[in-house]
Amino acid sequence: MNMLIFLPELALMTMALVLFFASLASWDFKRLYGLTLAMSATAVVCAVASWGQEGTLFFGAYRVDAFSQLFKIFITMGLFVVLAMGEGLSGIEKRLQPEYFFFVTVSSTGLVFLTSAVELITIFISLEVSSFALYVVIPFRKAGAQHREQMEAGIKYVLFGALSSGISLFGMSYVFGLAHTTYLSELATVVPGLLTSSPMLIVGLVMMLAGFFFKLAMFPMHFWAPDVYQGAANETAGFVATIPKAAAVALLIRFISLAGGVDLGDFNWILAAFAVFSMVLGNLSALVQEDVKRLLAYSSIAHAGYVMVALLCVNLLGFSTAIYYIAGYMMMNLACFYVVYHVGQDGENVTLDNLAGLYKRSPLLALVLAVGAFGMAGIPPTVGFFGKFFVFTAAIQKSLYALVIITVINAGISAFYYLKLVRAAYSPVKNPGETLTLGKPASLLGVALMAAILLVGIFPQFFMEVAEKAVGTLM
Amino acid sequence: MNLMMEVLFFGFVVLTMTGALLAVRAKILMHGVLGLAVSLLGVAGLYLYLGSPFLTLMQVLIYVGAICVVLVFGIMVGYTPNEVAEKVPMGRNALLGLLASGSAAFFLMVMVLGRTHWVPAAHRVGDFSIEHVGESLLLTWCLAFEMISVVLLIAIVGAIILARGGREEGSQ
Repeated sequence: MNMLIFLPELALMTMALVLFFASLASWDFKRLYGLTLAMSATAVVCAVASWGQEGTLFFGAYRVDAFSQLFKIFITMGLFVVLAMGEGLSGIEKRLQPEYFFFVTVSSTGLVFLTSAVELITIFISLEVSSFALYVVIPFRKAGAQHREQMEAGIKYVLFGALSSGISLFGMSYVFGLAHTTYLSELATVVPGLLTSSPMLIVGLVMMLAGFFFKLAMFPMHFWAPDVYQGAANETAGFVATIPKAAAVALLIRFISLAGGVDLGDFNWILAAFAVFSMVLGNLSALVQEDVKRLLAYSSIAHAGYVMVALLCVNLLGFSTAIYYIAGYMMMNLACFYVVYHVGQDGENVTLDNLAGLYKRSPLLALVLAVGAFGMAGIPPTVGFFGKFFVFTAAIQKSLYALVIITVINAGISAFYYLKLVRAAYSPVKNPGETLTLGKPASLLGVALMAAILLVGIFPQFFMEVAEKAVGTLM
Repeated sequence: MNLMMEVLFFGFVVLTMTGALLAVRAKILMHGVLGLAVSLLGVAGLYLYLGSPFLTLMQVLIYVGAICVVLVFGIMVGYTPNEVAEKVPMGRNALLGLLASGSAAFFLMVMVLGRTHWVPAAHRVGDFSIEHVGESLLLTWCLAFEMISVVLLIAIVGAIILARGGREEGSQ
């Protein structure tokens, strides 16, 4: 057997195993952190090395192709950035720091399995692996002056998560009852026919997708996002906000492409309604937020809506746009959470007032925040601009004019609160507070994030080609 | 015979639903666990109705037996089981809302079901022997089977870590 096929999974599983034993020994934090970062970097290298592999494993339940490998690169890179960003883990309870690394790694492993799973039961269990690890990590936050809100966030995440996986499993049972198979390759042959003849399949599919909407924080399953982001430690929130969403988009693409590129019929209407509600609700709620993490939570609900508009095109351009968009979204959000983590030095939450005069306290952080926020507002030449541009192009090609108009209006509304972030960081104040000093590695990471947001935005052609190649294996 | 099977099926469904409602609405935690046991017993009955005595046996042994006993132990060791949950009165609005959404969902479901043709499976496996179950678990479903153990590991480690934290803070 070709070892390269399974290499990223092996690297992450080894990492989880080593971290599990390291959590039993009482290691010095510096050593543990160095080891974790090194192993995480190895996982990225393994994921990149396995690009181009193809094959089917585990009796047809696990498919390795360009599509899955691309998302594995996203996930491992995201994990590396989250770990590198949370240098010192200032928001996590001291005695739980080794376990934090372990659970975050296991969650990423689950997500990596999710991108390759092509069988409903395997998909469901991979989803549970990634969710369970996150349920445990949320309450790891250091009990600070403000609170025990991390417990509330943890409970809310578990309860909503259990509810959405229940609905998801229920939907899968309907799909199985109609199609008599759990393998996506076999579903692809029967779904297009059933979609028009059996409305029950639409009910089943929508219920099944609820589990992924939960991960993506999309409209009917979005309730948890603001409270969980606010209650979780800054570094944990950075993880929850970015990496699971890439995997959720991968799964949504896999399921929506089951229809084989034909018209989705009534299914289209339901998903379009979800997209519109998600955008409007997310953007309007974000306008009034004071806490930066809550603001980012509502903005992520809105971004889920934009991604859904791209998915609704059900063609090569739409799907590759969704991949490009979610990759850009990950970078921009990681940049914002990087700033939040470093401004909230003792792991406290950051409000807009805390950002005031940030350009005096740390010019680099203010600049990273500005690039991230400009990106999310969709201002050229960032990746956010081209993401939105491709979404509009794809939707206009499929003549989804109503959706395009709603999306444009929403993009306008969202610019207001993203610019509010920038204004807060750059507004002159009399007493800006103490200077924030960043170490060399932390500064380097900030510069790298900015460079990524700008470069992927300035040269979108190459990245779109990669995304199209990945989607090409599905269509 | 056919009628009896139908009656049996709905009997099990009613048992499952009653148990579930009991588990959710119970004011004393222990009653919730008992409701869960009843509900799981109903599910075991459904497996029997579907013709899988092995699964029925496992359901009774593992879920109704082991898991519920562990839950009872957990409650009894954890704290004195005489706390009564706050009664949540159901207001008129909540009742009306429930009625409206429930009936809307019901009618939509009836319409959807009416238009859907359920095709019975082409063939029935019918082989529920332990060899067959073991073979499919370790061959066809080996990935899912292995990943369930990961889920269990995370749940156990996570529970231990979080519970330990709670105790330390409580003693302060």
